[in-house]
Amino acid sequence: MKPILLQGHERSITQIKYNREGDLLFSVAKDTVANAWYSVNGERLGTYNGHTGAVWCVDCDWDTKNVLTGSADNSCRLWDCETGKQLALLNTSSAVRTCGFDFSGNIIMFSTDKQMGYQCYLNFFDLRDPQQIEDNNPYLSVPCNESKITSAVWGPLGEFVIAGHENGEISQFSAKSGEALKKVKEHTKQINDIQSSVDLTMVITASKDNSAKLFDSTSLENIKTFRTERPVNSAAISPIKDHVVMGGGQEAMDVTTTSTRIGKFEARFFHAAYEEEFGRVKGHFGPINCVAFHPDGKSYSSGGEDGYVRIHYFDPQYFDFELEA
Amino acid sequence: MPSVEYDDSKPSWADQVEEEVDETTLPSPKETIRGNIKTITEYKIDEEDGKKYKIVRTFKIETRKASKAVARRKNWKKFGNSEFDAPGPNVATTTVSDDVFMTFISSKEDLNAQDQDEDPMNKLKGQKIVSCRICKGDHWTTRCPYKDTLGPMQKELAEQLGLSTGDKEKPAGAAEPEPAQPAQSKTGKYVPPSLRDGGRGRGESMQPNRRADDNATIRVTNLSEDTRETDLQELFRPFGSISRIYLAKDKNTGQSKGFAFISFHRREDAARAIAGVSGFGYDHLILNVEWAKPSNN
Repeated sequence: MKPILLQGHERSITQIKYNREGDLLFSVAKDTVANAWYSVNGERLGTYNGHTGAVWCVDCDWDTKNVLTGSADNSCRLWDCETGKQLALLNTSSAVRTCGFDFSGNIIMFSTDKQMGYQCYLNFFDLRDPQQIEDNNPYLSVPCNESKITSAVWGPLGEFVIAGHENGEISQFSAKSGEALKKVKEHTKQINDIQSSVDLTMVITASKDNSAKLFDSTSLENIKTFRTERPVNSAAISPIKDHVVMGGGQEAMDVTTTSTRIGKFEARFFHAAYEEEFGRVKGHFGPINCVAFHPDGKSYSSGGEDGYVRIHYFDPQYFDFELEA
Repeated sequence: MPSVEYDDSKPSWADQVEEEVDETTLPSPKETIRGNIKTITEYKIDEEDGKKYKIVRTFKIETRKASKAVARRKNWKKFGNSEFDAPGPNVATTTVSDDVFMTFISSKEDLNAQDQDEDPMNKLKGQKIVSCRICKGDHWTTRCPYKDTLGPMQKELAEQLGLSTGDKEKPAGAAEPEPAQPAQSKTGKYVPPSLRDGGRGRGESMQPNRRADDNATIRVTNLSEDTRETDLQELFRPFGSISRIYLAKDKNTGQSKGFAFISFHRREDAARAIAGVSGFGYDHLILNVEWAKPSNN
């Protein structure tokens, strides 16, 4: 396969995300712009300009109207997807680490870092109520005293948010009451990324403890574990096959001291049921920070510490491949 | 520019001269769509060397079915830093990178093998890095315990053998190279691969009947462009069995370049073919047939 290389960022990629149909791909990096790309040919649709710090997270609602970004400039911004205009600016007291639309696109959540003497908060805004945005007053703000949230996704039916913490814990926070519904600790180190399956019944966590785990979204039961020998930065579930792709590698701070070969900076494909690796794809000069499957399952993208996003359309061999059990 | 008209036919040479004189104006960019291939022809003057360049880019137009929402999004205007980009991917932000392949791992063993391959130090394990020149032991020559006893003996031996190899350089026959080779390696002297044990033998075995082939090969020249291999087969089969026909063809058009090599199994057949076909009128041309010169390689 010939990957499409997207050079829209000057610094390392922090997150990439497809919209629901998968025709657009959003990428954010440690520079200040968020990019929107057509996934079919890699054409850049535009940039969302306005942030003044590293952008940590991006999300798009289900009908691709609005885009949400969270940044280390202590703000979370809402954009009009089509025109790139900023619709809302939500100032926070510390960096915004994760953000997301619920399935209806009406409620947004974002979490802030524990930083500069401020607590980690998980904030909920209802976009149907303009007053909340105007006053910068979330209808719900959940403090997380124990360990800060490092990644989060919405659970099914918009009832709760599944959050991964710095200490390896995963918890569910109700979007109505804010109470912690469930809490499990299967990982021993920081959760770098959580992504849900296409039907939101499962989530996959990627952790610094060299493993990725598949959980049931509702019960938080650990279904499968995928082990590697390097920290896992991101993991995604294939929407059409029982496959899981994982990106990771050496920690960013160690990159300059390891060769690309030893660093194992490949995207690694695991069979979801057998928990066995069956394929690897090379390409990035450095660890992969984020991977995402196209919603049709026929391509995937990865964003790396090298600042590039690569869109890979799978060869026919990938679809023919059967793992021998 | 209403006064200047470009039509698809070639401009006359007079117009071209005029164009060259007027360096500042460039022909306007042209865009043609034929089937699903779009060709854009642009002209530009390089700022550094002042030369005029013609840039031809071809695109393949692909039509895909998509849902209404997706199709609508495809027509969105670009914004932000891409606001002034032309339609289509901008080469500054989007490039197609080199081919990569998914390496499939079918079993655990493969995985482990691959891991070992990746560690360069593992490769060296089990390999002797240091080898004594005297006793072939796993230590430096100067540390060899037999340095004083074995060393001088070997030197003497090597000198004797060195003399004998010197004699053998002159006659080219490879009657008894065997004793010379071990001596050379023992003294640690570099031996070029072509002179190493069995080197000559292997080279010959690679092309076993090349020589014989050359002997029965003829060269046919002045063939017409439309000549095909089958024509040559028809023409030369009456003289004897043919082992190989090589017809030089143009890479792009596939037309004959006007010469061919025909290898027969027997040299007599080739000789008869030369006598029979040379000067033969074939397809409005007079054929020239002669022995093929042995190829350089």
